[in-house]
Amino acid sequence: MLEVTGLEAWYGQAQALHGVSVRVGEGEVVSLAGRNGAGKTTLVRCLIGLHRQVRGTVRFLDRDVTRTPAHQRARAGMGWVQDDRGIYASLTVEENLLLPPRVSDRAWTMERVYEAFPVLAIRRRAPGTTLSGGEQQMLAIARALRTGARLLLMDEPSEGLAPVVVARIGEIIREVKAAGAGVLLIEQNVKFAATVADRHYLLSQGRIVETLDNSEFRRREGELLKHLGI
Amino acid sequence: MTSKRMWAGASAMSAVLLLGACGGGGPGGSGGDFSGGKLVLAVLNDQSGVYKDASGPNSVKAVKMAVADFQKKYGDKAVVDKIEVTSTDHQNKPDIANTKASELYERRGADVILDVPTSSAALAVANQAKKNKKLFLDVSAATTALTGAQCNKYTFQWAYNTYMLANGTGTTVTEKGGKKWNIIYPDYEFGQNMSKSFSDAVTKAGGTVQGTIPTPFPNENFATFLTKAGSTDPDVIGTMQAGGDLINLVKQFNESGLKEKGIELAVGLMLITDIHSLGVDQFADTMFTDAWYWNMDPEARAWADRFLAETGTRPTFEHAGNYSAALQYLEAVQEAGTDDADAVVAKLEGKKINDVFLRNGEVRAKDHSVVHDAYLVRVKKPSEVKEDWDYEEIVATIPAAKAFAPAEASGCTLS
Amino acid sequence: MSAVLQYAVQGLAAGSFYALAALGLAIIFGVLGVVNFAHGAFYMLGAVGAAVLLDTLGLSLWWALLAVPVLMFGFGVVVERLLVQWLLRLDPLYNFLLTFGLTLVLVELVKQKYGVSGLPYRLPGALQGRVDLGGVVLPRYQLFVLLASVAICVLVWLVMTRSRVGMIVRAATEKPELARALGINVGRWVTPVFGFGVALAGLAGVLAAPFRAITADMGNNFAIILFAVVVIGGLGSIVGAVIAGFLVGLVEAFGQAYAPTFAQILIFVLMALIILVRPAGLFGRKEATA
Repeated sequence: MLEVTGLEAWYGQAQALHGVSVRVGEGEVVSLAGRNGAGKTTLVRCLIGLHRQVRGTVRFLDRDVTRTPAHQRARAGMGWVQDDRGIYASLTVEENLLLPPRVSDRAWTMERVYEAFPVLAIRRRAPGTTLSGGEQQMLAIARALRTGARLLLMDEPSEGLAPVVVARIGEIIREVKAAGAGVLLIEQNVKFAATVADRHYLLSQGRIVETLDNSEFRRREGELLKHLGI
Repeated sequence: MTSKRMWAGASAMSAVLLLGACGGGGPGGSGGDFSGGKLVLAVLNDQSGVYKDASGPNSVKAVKMAVADFQKKYGDKAVVDKIEVTSTDHQNKPDIANTKASELYERRGADVILDVPTSSAALAVANQAKKNKKLFLDVSAATTALTGAQCNKYTFQWAYNTYMLANGTGTTVTEKGGKKWNIIYPDYEFGQNMSKSFSDAVTKAGGTVQGTIPTPFPNENFATFLTKAGSTDPDVIGTMQAGGDLINLVKQFNESGLKEKGIELAVGLMLITDIHSLGVDQFADTMFTDAWYWNMDPEARAWADRFLAETGTRPTFEHAGNYSAALQYLEAVQEAGTDDADAVVAKLEGKKINDVFLRNGEVRAKDHSVVHDAYLVRVKKPSEVKEDWDYEEIVATIPAAKAFAPAEASGCTLS
Repeated sequence: MSAVLQYAVQGLAAGSFYALAALGLAIIFGVLGVVNFAHGAFYMLGAVGAAVLLDTLGLSLWWALLAVPVLMFGFGVVVERLLVQWLLRLDPLYNFLLTFGLTLVLVELVKQKYGVSGLPYRLPGALQGRVDLGGVVLPRYQLFVLLASVAICVLVWLVMTRSRVGMIVRAATEKPELARALGINVGRWVTPVFGFGVALAGLAGVLAAPFRAITADMGNNFAIILFAVVVIGGLGSIVGAVIAGFLVGLVEAFGQAYAPTFAQILIFVLMALIILVRPAGLFGRKEATA
């Protein structure tokens, strides 16, 4: 459903991405690993449409969206779960959930959201940023689920979270995948990525240097960890 | 013709031309001295701000009317052929007025500056007039200092001053029963001067001034000042605000309930443009002192009709005053045969004048204050208004001797 | 004691104009990032509009309160489409200069048409006179202005917190980029929001028309005080703008009553203090980035 070909991106004169090509299929979970500064977040911002200095092609659901504005890509079904969660302080938890429009009939109902994330139900009238880090992450994911996004772009969802919370996130990713959505997972936590992903890309200095399926990824975990400098 | 004769002829002709150029007088120049070969009248006033309608560009038109009338009257016999009228905006700021006056006298060859509203600006121009030894006929500024402590030989106050306003309104209102006064005034030269003049007039007429309340200038919100003024239960609140400030204050006074408590509003300085902009109903029955009213007699009205045709609106006393000052200046120049300031001043001093603006007027030699009849006026009720701008009813004429302070009291020593 | 109460009511009534206009200014800044210097001119146009409606069509204040904000909304839309939108992507300074220039043009146009002496205005009968509140006598219109502006602020607050539009405006103010990535067409809301902010300024002008001299220059000083208000309240904060507006009105009134020589500068002294002690303003948040 997502096909990126030869993507190049610049910040002014500095080139951040060099000919990146990635694919995410329906019901596929694909991870993107790499050191800090490799270009992971830049890539996600290009995909969602917030970075405009680009060349190459982004195709989503068989349409060329390379020049499409961000809000239209979101409405087409791209769901962005930001690396700093992107929770609004001036909106309540419930408003944060209701803010984005529904984009498919796979959208979760509010009942289902509250059932899956009871803490959000309890704190539904509190301002979004009064939740703990882990709760905010749940909120960000729940928000995307509520829209019925067909492709989730998840940027470092496990960062700074307790293992039990991380495990919960893994569960949700598997559920989402089972429903037919695609997931592009940016993760430094390769151990976690290995528990959910089908395929992995390795990004270094703006280039895709390796493409591995999950079994190979697990085999070479040690070597990859060293490469990533973790 | 031999070359020698040609040369003689040529040099003779050059000599004549040179002499002619130096003389500066063309036909009718009759040997008189005119700097730059022409007469320059400069109008310095507020062209774009709060006093634009009171005086402003229409005063320049009034001065031009005076020049045209002068030229029509004298034709070829006019002592000077070229008369220029120029104008500049001083934005009511003394520092700008100072710079502009200096520029007008020194670089634009102005022989006389006219108008100059805002008392602090007028004082600055008077200073420049003294420095440059050129005339300044002030029409629109009211401070008595111009013909008092800060008078000088080249400065004249043509139309009115704070004493005239205070004595007209202050004395009459006090005599009619308004004994206890509270005075609100804008805190700058004009307002301070007015406050003092009114306080003096009220006390002399047997009243008491309970207090004087300064306000910022300019200001929009007078609610608290009005509350303060009303809190001591006076008979009269005297307001010295002018222009836009006056309109704000009157609007808020009418809303404040002080009128219902029996407190009267006396206005220090009002122009017909203020009545026009707020509406006759808001000012109905207010008493004030006016230097001149367009409909007060046939001569004034005739001129006001010409002014209406020229500008589309009726004149204030400042417009008429500028016309009179310009015309009388030109008459004085005609008599003196020169634009030399001292000669013109000599012709003006002591002159008795009756024209469109001045009735029983006299240019006092002692302090250069132009005294004339003034008028105690009542603002008409809407039902009494018969035509556009027909707002004022003359209640009494204040003869010149009473309207202005005696010359001996001025504190002026001309230099 | 009753004098103090009178000053307080006068201050709050004067503050109402600041509060309403500042509310519009804060909303425009929040969603567009535009520091709208022309807000004072829009206030002036509101007052002039009310006066013209009365003069040419005989429409009283009641009609003006409805018609003028609608007209000003339309005018705001035109200004945004024709001028403001082209500079939105640039440094906010460009739009600041643009709106400053717009002010000069608008003021001059009004001067050309109506002169400087001001336009007359009359209150409808029902609003004239005074009310006696247990010993304290207040002009009926002052009370009306207070109640009306509080009602409008409450209304706007309700829209902000209970409607989808309000939610979008809040989100677009806090993190506009994220809002776009979540599927909200922020751009579509820019024009109506600008129009709404302008309408609020015009509404403040209508309310001021019976109280203030209606001159072309009436908005100039007002605009400067408005900026002090939004700095005190916090540039991005809508609640802050309203509270600071009333606060400044009170400071002005009590300043004039008890320290008239300092009255004009008191507001700016307060603003300077806030900048020193709490630069984000009373209710402002630290810079929020998407």
